[in-house]
Amino acid sequence: MSAELFSVFYQFADVFAFLILSAAGLAIVFGMMGVINMAHGEFIMCGAYVTVGLVNLGVPLPIAQILAALTAGIIGMIVELLIVRRFYKRPLDSLLATWGLSLIVTQSMLLIVGSAVRGIGTPEGSFAIGGYTFSTYRLVLFFCAVAVLAGLYIIFMKTRFGVIARATMQNAAMAKALGARTGRIYSISFGIGTALAGLCGALYAPTMTLIPTMGATFVVESFVTVVIGGANVLLGTAPAAVFLAMIRMALNASYGQIIGQIGMLFAVILIIRVLPEGLSSVLVRRGR
Amino acid sequence: MNSGRIVGMALLGAMLGIAATGSTQAAEPPLKVGLLEDVSGDLAFMGMPKLHGSQLAVEEINKSGGILGRQIELIHLDPQGDNARYQEFGRRLLNRDKVDVLIGGITSASREALRPIVDRTTTPYFYTNQYEGGVCDASMISMGAVPEQQFSTLIPWMVQKFGKKVYVIAADYNFGQISAEWNRKIMKDLGGEVVGEEFIPLGVSQFAQTIQNIQKAKPDWLLTINVGAAQDSFFEQAAAANLNLPMGSSIKIMLGFEHKRFKPPALNNMHATANWFEEIDTPEANDFKKRWHAKFPDELYINDMGYNAYNALYMYKALVEKAKSTKLEDMRKVIATGDACIDAPEGKVCIDPKSQHTSHRMRLISVGPKHEVTVEKDYGTIQPYWLGEIGCDLTKKNDKDQYTPSHLPSKS
Amino acid sequence: MLKLLDGPQTLGRGRIFWSCFLAVLAGALIYPLFADSYDVGNFAYFLIWIFMALGLCLMWGYGGMLSFGQTFFFGIAGYGYGVLAINMGGGTATIAALVLSVVIAMIAAGILGYFMIWGGISGIFFGIVTLSATLVLAFFLGQTAGPEWHIGSARLNGFNGMKGMDPLTVGSFDIEGSALYYVMIALIVIVYIALRMLVNSSVGNVIVATRENPQRAEMLGYDVRKYQLLTFVIGSGLAGLSGALYTSWGQFITPSSIGLPAAAMPIVWVAFSGRNDLTATLVGSFLLLFGFQTITVYSQQAALVLMGVLLLATVMLAPQGFVLGIGKLVVDWWSRRRRRNESPALADAGRLQSDET
Repeated sequence: MSAELFSVFYQFADVFAFLILSAAGLAIVFGMMGVINMAHGEFIMCGAYVTVGLVNLGVPLPIAQILAALTAGIIGMIVELLIVRRFYKRPLDSLLATWGLSLIVTQSMLLIVGSAVRGIGTPEGSFAIGGYTFSTYRLVLFFCAVAVLAGLYIIFMKTRFGVIARATMQNAAMAKALGARTGRIYSISFGIGTALAGLCGALYAPTMTLIPTMGATFVVESFVTVVIGGANVLLGTAPAAVFLAMIRMALNASYGQIIGQIGMLFAVILIIRVLPEGLSSVLVRRGR
Repeated sequence: MNSGRIVGMALLGAMLGIAATGSTQAAEPPLKVGLLEDVSGDLAFMGMPKLHGSQLAVEEINKSGGILGRQIELIHLDPQGDNARYQEFGRRLLNRDKVDVLIGGITSASREALRPIVDRTTTPYFYTNQYEGGVCDASMISMGAVPEQQFSTLIPWMVQKFGKKVYVIAADYNFGQISAEWNRKIMKDLGGEVVGEEFIPLGVSQFAQTIQNIQKAKPDWLLTINVGAAQDSFFEQAAAANLNLPMGSSIKIMLGFEHKRFKPPALNNMHATANWFEEIDTPEANDFKKRWHAKFPDELYINDMGYNAYNALYMYKALVEKAKSTKLEDMRKVIATGDACIDAPEGKVCIDPKSQHTSHRMRLISVGPKHEVTVEKDYGTIQPYWLGEIGCDLTKKNDKDQYTPSHLPSKS
Repeated sequence: MLKLLDGPQTLGRGRIFWSCFLAVLAGALIYPLFADSYDVGNFAYFLIWIFMALGLCLMWGYGGMLSFGQTFFFGIAGYGYGVLAINMGGGTATIAALVLSVVIAMIAAGILGYFMIWGGISGIFFGIVTLSATLVLAFFLGQTAGPEWHIGSARLNGFNGMKGMDPLTVGSFDIEGSALYYVMIALIVIVYIALRMLVNSSVGNVIVATRENPQRAEMLGYDVRKYQLLTFVIGSGLAGLSGALYTSWGQFITPSSIGLPAAAMPIVWVAFSGRNDLTATLVGSFLLLFGFQTITVYSQQAALVLMGVLLLATVMLAPQGFVLGIGKLVVDWWSRRRRRNESPALADAGRLQSDET
């Protein structure tokens, strides 16, 4: 029985980690800054490729993963400077620009690196409970997801940068008038967002097939999670991920993956219908 | 890197063309071969070897004097994995470029997108993949292996060696579902038991739940007919969770070269029946591999799709030269004699007159812990007999339909 | 009635614009006389998609509702046409199948629209709900490979797609090639004129007023939800028209026309062209479809890179959209030249008015 219970927790943790890690970066870039970043998946892909490249050069995996996240963050800041910066006033156009960017990046990767990259294998081994065996690395992913949430909370709620950043997102003109260097704030926030996307790719790189279009498998889930989370990122994305993970896990377990996927999207439609402002609208109101 | 190579190819082809017309008889226009292969998008890693195989064959044939003295002009378009583009480009090649033969398509969906268009012309179409079988269409010649060649050999062997309980993981679309149907049929005949069947939507990359379902069902072995790069993540995740079950498949190893793409031992204990895999060690095969790698030194693996694509052009050459015509009806007269054969790197392969599918020499291979490939059993040549048995006879009637074990031709 | 052709909601007016319109139309009509039959068919194929783009332009540019799932209605009508054409038999019945399938798509739009608009869903939430709807349909249809999934004698046939339906036919005459081309031209002209009249009518003014400020429109006494629903149903009906025509053109439709990335394409066309204007959408979508296909044919693997560069450059250099950007350049240059010769007042009158949002 305890094996069954643990297995339920494990499955939940697995889906939850996937949703949180893939959505965390988007929660900042899209949820807070309002940039519809269609190239989100490509930042994930970037993190994964850098990780695998570094590991093949002999860098230990955890260090490779951190470096990959940093690389994605730096590239993100460059992209912000050159492209995204122009679209804060017209968010819908950012969709077109980042979609163009994602086409360029995906195809360039295919041309430069080739269509398939050799995998690096999952670390950490496995453990057995009851009749089941589990991959230890999936638990590492879960703890990373929790750590990412905690880190975001600290950065945006407890630091001076976080206060200024939130003020800037709410009213850039006012923040600027009060002396905040809003340009830099935007740039750093976008960088954090893409670094988190890179981290997601880096963490999943050992467990997945690497192809240039791999980012696409993350995109729908991350947008859906962020959107039903609603305006408040910290109070929205996490509960949204919990909620969707429970639905997805329950349906996957009893009816298979196809129903899991369809059911999750149905749940999204219903949640938005009941709470047109997203989950956080309720949670924030209750909290006050 | 490849566009440069393509330009180089074109230049070379043009030069050879000029040389040929200069030396031999008066300028015969080249034969136009239309090729549709995805070299971008999700399936690029499979489409690329197919393009290479066609390019290699065209180069070799042109060097040795072409077909009926005519050079071949290869017109390749990249549909990017989009069925609508397959239709657009199929029409373009057939109606505008007026190609003499159309080759290509990766997924069954892309083949089905092309068939209605090809059927309205008198152009032959070569489909060069292994697939779920059952297409009975006079315009189409299938070069790849089909279930009676792959499953009828693999499944009895797996049952004998590992046991009667199988769990199926299949991609949730026609290929996966029809393959699963084949498995059910064969397992029933063998007295085996399908303890679980799971259909995975295309693009899904997370398998923790699936792995647990498998452990719950306690099968003796797994039939893995999952498709695409995302679903291939299953192997890595199953290995990480120490699932450790024997596996069989009709598309792994020789097609997706997973044993080259994943770190050992993710593919340990995988089995497949194949007409081609790069590890085949015969003089003809080795010679072929040498020519391929000389032209494409970066190729990670020569997969069976690329190999079949290469054969398709030689089969076309054989048909045209025997028929002394490029017309489909004349070529089909050759096929009807049952004498449409070529000496391929795997051995002699022939087109079956009733179904227009190709006979193959099938070998059962397995992957070891270091991802080394061993030949377990050689079945010799196996005919694509199933369509003929259920009543498809293209020498008499053109059904233009696709049959499955649960969708048989109506008796008339 | 004809007065509605020109108005504040559409660009281009007066004799010059309509002369150009007639010239382009005349050019389009005589085109098949000297063009290759393949090119004519190919142009007809591009025109099939324009309806979906025009519908989205109406909803997004005029109504302010960004639907990310127009392919939902495209798919419903596309499959609807297939099922009806197979079951009702070929011949003239295909025309009825076309009309009925569009009606079905509009009914679906009515239901989904009622569900969303009366639920107060707007902005990006609107996009996610429509996207979810289209993905659900695509996933569902993708797993219908077995023979048990059929409607009448029409098999849905899963991911490999439904086929075997007749193309549009009158009597025993298949509408294909140049015939299809002329039918497409006629339909495009009718839809374009009708949409122009709609957005310049009082209904159109309310639609735009709702986009600008729903509360204000409501205060003025309009039930904005009804106008939004109307916009949504018309826009989705046009997506359905594209779907049914597409199925008839290729005698084939698959779930991949409904899922991603197909769902993103209409948004790309409309955003690229300039979503604020019907004419811009019409011209721009056609150019983009043509351009993407040409790039893919001639540049092999670099095609997707070039498309990306094209989109990125457009959105950075011509913020209102490619067609509007170029149109504005031309008109500005023209009026500047005239200003030099004539009085400034006259120059301003000919100036292109763009409704910035």
